[in-house]
Amino acid sequence: MARKPKAGGFVPTVVEVEGRTETRIVEVPAFEPAPWTDQASLHIVGTNVPRMDAAEKVTGRARYTADIERPGMLHAYILRSTVPRGAVRTFDAAAARAMPGVFDILGPGDAPAKTRLFHRDITYAGQPVAAVCATTLREARAAAHAIVVEYDTLPFAVTFADAVAPDAPSVRPAGNTPAVSPLVIARGDVDAGLQAADVVITREYRTPVQLHTALEPHGAACEWDGDRLTVWESTQGIFRVRADVARALDVPQSNVRVIKDYMGGGFGAKNGAGAHTYVAALLARRTARAVRCLNDREAEQLDSGNRPATVQRVTLGAKKNGTLTAIRLSADVPLGISGWEGGPAQIYHEMYACPNVRSEERFAYVNTSGMQAFRGPGYVEGAFGLESAMNELARELTLDPLALRKKNFAKKDPRQGRPYSGNALLECYEKAASAFGWPPAVDGSPLTVNRQPLTRSSSTPTRTALGRGLACQVWPTGGGPPSYANVRINNDASIDVLAGTQDLGTGSRTVLSQIAAEALGANIAHVRAVIGDTQSLPYAGNSWGSMTTASVGPAVRMAAEDARRQLFDAAAAMLGTTPDTLESRDSRIVVRDTDRSMTFAEVTGKLGNVMIQGKGSRGPNPAGVAINTFGVQMAEVEVDLDTGVVRVLRIVAAHDAGRIINPALAESQMQGGILQGMGYALFEERIVDARFGVALNTSMHDYKIPTMADVPEMTILWADGADSTANHTGARGIAEPPVIPTAPAIAAAVADAIGAVVREIPLTPWRVLGALAAP
Amino acid sequence: MRLTVNGRVHDVTVRDDETLLELLRERLALTGTKLTCDRGECGACTVQLDDATVYSCLTLAVACDGAAVRTVEGLAPPGTLSPLQQAFIAHDAAQCGYCTPGQLVAAQALLDRNASPTEEEIRAAMSGNLCRCGTYPKIVTAIRAAAGTESGTAEETIRGA
Ligand code: FES
Ligand code: FES
Repeated sequence: MARKPKAGGFVPTVVEVEGRTETRIVEVPAFEPAPWTDQASLHIVGTNVPRMDAAEKVTGRARYTADIERPGMLHAYILRSTVPRGAVRTFDAAAARAMPGVFDILGPGDAPAKTRLFHRDITYAGQPVAAVCATTLREARAAAHAIVVEYDTLPFAVTFADAVAPDAPSVRPAGNTPAVSPLVIARGDVDAGLQAADVVITREYRTPVQLHTALEPHGAACEWDGDRLTVWESTQGIFRVRADVARALDVPQSNVRVIKDYMGGGFGAKNGAGAHTYVAALLARRTARAVRCLNDREAEQLDSGNRPATVQRVTLGAKKNGTLTAIRLSADVPLGISGWEGGPAQIYHEMYACPNVRSEERFAYVNTSGMQAFRGPGYVEGAFGLESAMNELARELTLDPLALRKKNFAKKDPRQGRPYSGNALLECYEKAASAFGWPPAVDGSPLTVNRQPLTRSSSTPTRTALGRGLACQVWPTGGGPPSYANVRINNDASIDVLAGTQDLGTGSRTVLSQIAAEALGANIAHVRAVIGDTQSLPYAGNSWGSMTTASVGPAVRMAAEDARRQLFDAAAAMLGTTPDTLESRDSRIVVRDTDRSMTFAEVTGKLGNVMIQGKGSRGPNPAGVAINTFGVQMAEVEVDLDTGVVRVLRIVAAHDAGRIINPALAESQMQGGILQGMGYALFEERIVDARFGVALNTSMHDYKIPTMADVPEMTILWADGADSTANHTGARGIAEPPVIPTAPAIAAAVADAIGAVVREIPLTPWRVLGALAAP
Repeated sequence: MRLTVNGRVHDVTVRDDETLLELLRERLALTGTKLTCDRGECGACTVQLDDATVYSCLTLAVACDGAAVRTVEGLAPPGTLSPLQQAFIAHDAAQCGYCTPGQLVAAQALLDRNASPTEEEIRAAMSGNLCRCGTYPKIVTAIRAAAGTESGTAEETIRGA
């Protein structure tokens, strides 16, 4: 359980970011508010406060990076390599320089080494080769395409097998595999576990490269004022962009200001500065003008990150009663040209109480654009393998797949034996089962009625089959320090909540305002969250790993409590009482059990320009505790047996993320996550031509994301309850969990419908038909 | 050429390769309309051109001579919100908000044609407007609420503040 560290001084604490564990040294806050437990009487937290920036969004007033306009601003366009591997032999920009509107061109050798831009050595198709800035984007683009680049091409590897073959071409100078590969994680004795099993299954699953496809592309606008740089960037991490830019351009961080007001989605791909940022900053310095550089859609789909593909060979061993005795994973992950080792293994170790688990992940660099975290990185891929295998095991054991899950429920974190801060997965199972109707009735199920050989004339009516399936999820969502916040009460009693975090469309502006209003006893209409500016706001980390609410929320609450304490001190003097007799609600301070009160505005009016400023920080995480969000999703699909087209009819999702601060916003985020998981299950797959090493579907027409017509009926349920151990707001993260189980749940439903298992996603019509036609 | 945008008449000289989207965003500073794919695949740039909804990224500005254009900025007079915009707020029909201007214009055009569309009609009419945040269910609800075909008013739907 949580051991309370002393206030003041620094302590080590463990923070899990997207499955990677980091130990950080953080200071202990001056005080930590008592947790908001389930018994706490809360009035604003837990309610559906409308999204506080919605009016800006529905009127078109919300300003995104692409909407930033500066006097005399130029536009930059990046020219990208058309070959996957080779060297720039000739680079001739003379004609381009003479074209109308052109101000400047960056080519090989023109960028500081730390930006890693414009190398002569080409390692993937889409690599930036040059950048042009001109008065208009059209002029910049036309000039970029007038640059004559000739390449000496070299053999390349775009598949895992090609990259690890004995005679493989050199993908990266330092080697084709990262130093950690193969990455083995093990507990217990898998061989003994398999020996002890009554049933052993081994299956191979494949997942595709998925592209983030945020509607707003990556982009930055940069402007220098002397040696000070302002960067407007569409990013999930303003402080990280600042650090990246300062390092790459060799300027102090205090000379770089990063602003992000609105952004059109990130999903993991916008976690730092990119080529567009450096290009805009460098060209702005050289031309002494503001420069904006945005990816066009092709660049965005080609080179802005992706979820890497996997091949997962899974072996499960179990007793007849379903008790798992062993889990073994062997996985191959081609990362692209760069990235981190975000493989599928983690969920295999964390989902079930199995004593013997071993994973071996082999990573390879290949000559395609680099991977980036994508919503639930690793766990989404891993869930498809693990949960699909669990469903196949259930069939093998003739057990209900939900019963199999319950049998292997992990009461403690199976990896380190730590207690959970909270785990209501069993409650999620119950809630989902009763809403969905699980187990589905077998009698008269249309799947048996309709399953017939594939012969029909065009006059026969459509033959469809219904199927149902489920899958589960775990994801580390504790968040953690460092994160800071300030709360200012202005002399008209309007309240600014200042935190250097960002709202990706997740609703953090609203959620943080709710937390501040609750802690202050303020009217939410008087509270405004100010976020997204490194110059004026205290540090917060990247908005990744479902961490923002659990990381920044407690800092905001503490700052608001600190501000309220000061406000009460001032009010007590005015009301002739002591602060401990006061309470506040709806921006009014009341002397308990009396009719004496003052509004916040009356107090601050009397204070004049004496400003109340509360300070807060995120305290260390509780030691020795696992903090996770859990869930289960159940899917019902209809498969057209003649065309192989899968239609998802309904999804019931039940998750446990501790306290839900704003159910309406949380529901939106869950629905969105499920739809991204559905896209992954059914349509989304980047295709690379193995002969030429180039991506083929870099448009939104050829790379399909779900449309409104594809949306199933979705039911979102929560095992709602404060997690008072995780942090004092009681909330864990929710952004990534909904994507994780969707694809295996849909795949299981398809298998149920057609009586054959498709072990590779997306479940395209031809894969489904192939499975139907197989003997 | 002359065109009317959100009720205001503009006399402009355009390049022959200039799109309506460029004209709106870059020259008329109406940046509510968004560029996402630049080739008619996503709907982020949807505007109303006379009686039709068009992808402004695929519409040449010169072809709009004499036309009336409505963008997200013209859905309601400044400082006010149309019933549809209010319904989008009440039903949380914008997450990141990048697709929202296009969604709103397409939805308003649908409601202008068909005051009480069924869910199926909404899905069909709106499936050219992509949303990566997956806000679709809320958008459907908002459109139905604005059309009065959804039981429950905005006020009832929103608990709390
Ligand atoms: S930007 Fe016009 S349809 Fe996508
Ligand atoms: S709300 Fe983000 S793309 Fe639609």
